Amino acid sequence: MEREQQKMVIEALLFLTEEPVTVKKIGQVLSVSPEEAESLVCELKENLSLSGRGIQVFETAGGYQMGTLPELAPHLEKAFSEDVSSNLSTAALEVLAIVAYKQPVTRVEVESIRGVRCEHVLDNLVKRKLIKISGRKEGPGRPRLYSTTADFLKYFGLKDLSELPELELESRPSEETGETLSRDAEIPAGVEQIKYDFENQNGDH
Amino acid sequence: MAQQEGYTIKLPTFEGPFDLLFHLIKKAEVDIWSVSIAEITEQYLAYLQSMRELNLDIASEFLVMAATLLRLKSKLLLPRSNLINEEETEDELFEINTAEELFQRLEEYRNFKEVAQYLREKEEEQKKIFLRSTGGQKVMVLTGQESVYTIWEGAQHLSDIMQRFSEVASAKEYTPAFSAVEDFVIADKADYIESTLQEKQRPMPMKSFVNGDSLWEIIVVFIALLEMARQKRVNLLQECHFGPILVSLKPKDEQHEEVNVGERTAENGH
Repeated sequence: MEREQQKMVIEALLFLTEEPVTVKKIGQVLSVSPEEAESLVCELKENLSLSGRGIQVFETAGGYQMGTLPELAPHLEKAFSEDVSSNLSTAALEVLAIVAYKQPVTRVEVESIRGVRCEHVLDNLVKRKLIKISGRKEGPGRPRLYSTTADFLKYFGLKDLSELPELELESRPSEETGETLSRDAEIPAGVEQIKYDFENQNGDH
Repeated sequence: MAQQEGYTIKLPTFEGPFDLLFHLIKKAEVDIWSVSIAEITEQYLAYLQSMRELNLDIASEFLVMAATLLRLKSKLLLPRSNLINEEETEDELFEINTAEELFQRLEEYRNFKEVAQYLREKEEEQKKIFLRSTGGQKVMVLTGQESVYTIWEGAQHLSDIMQRFSEVASAKEYTPAFSAVEDFVIADKADYIESTLQEKQRPMPMKSFVNGDSLWEIIVVFIALLEMARQKRVNLLQECHFGPILVSLKPKDEQHEEVNVGERTAENGH
């Protein structure tokens, strides 16, 4: 298949798909390597932006997705005004921030950082599928552990968790690993499942 | 002292005692680590007092923090030697025994507050990008099996969906979920719809052709309408997603001339 045609296939694929598509998937569709798929997507991205289109291809939640250009929002809002959902509350954002860095994390741990009870906020975030209960901590009461979801990445348009700013803390994740923050170090023994979930949610690279 | 300036009628809301403390420290324009406990405690209590004067509900966490601050302050007044063997506190939220611990917690909180701010910016950015899934509506065709075929509305004509449905129904040994007496036959229903429309001479909602409340009848009416649309006998019009479907009779002279009824209907459905 010619390169131009391959890009057309990717454009069509991204047009049809509501979820981010991984380069692995694109590679499978075109029978090319993920690396080749990546370079094709990048070319497509550039083609679109150079030819003055209203849509763009952007990277999110470990894949690529098609969406409108941000600068068109004022116009599009007129058509979709009912669909525009309200922003998250400050409390919700604070809890999300803590869960994102400390995951898997218990409610008490989140509360001790914020100094406020967070039960409702956590429940609502689970309902909105921005976080999930990823397991239970060993120990008294076996409290629930919370982790962020792929929807979390999508909601904020993040490629993966490493896109979050670094914390200026002693508990700051080590830079050497280059991995997504200090997740591995934080996972207590006996919760392999969570680690697995976490890797999955980052999508295939 | 700083507390006289800010506590006027309008009080900002805080996400918790740390948020309030953080605000007070910022206002005093000092670094977290060089805050005087005595001073911050005074300001904190003054703030709670003004909340009380305005009859605001003070969350228990704020009061716990006030107690914690007072404890820290009183500890600082005592000779150092008394502090060596501190009993463990049972409180879940504030196991804070020294000023350093408090500052550490505040510092940590400040970090996450910054991340929350970052997330807010990303949220705003992302809101400006509209995705296909926010506008497009999906049509689902269910088979007797568990598999689900998804067809995008507009991508296919109504008649195609019909076609697809009958293929699916015949290909997989399709067994109806329930057996019903066939009181309603599609052809009869179609005739009934046509004669009703002729009589009324105006577009009618699809609902009005269903006389009883049997599910079977609704299905028959729906299929009859799809069939009639395919045969170019009627026009179907839906003004918005999930809105009522209006049925109107296609004028006789148009019935044979116009080719793409299905397409038109699909467009109307958007």
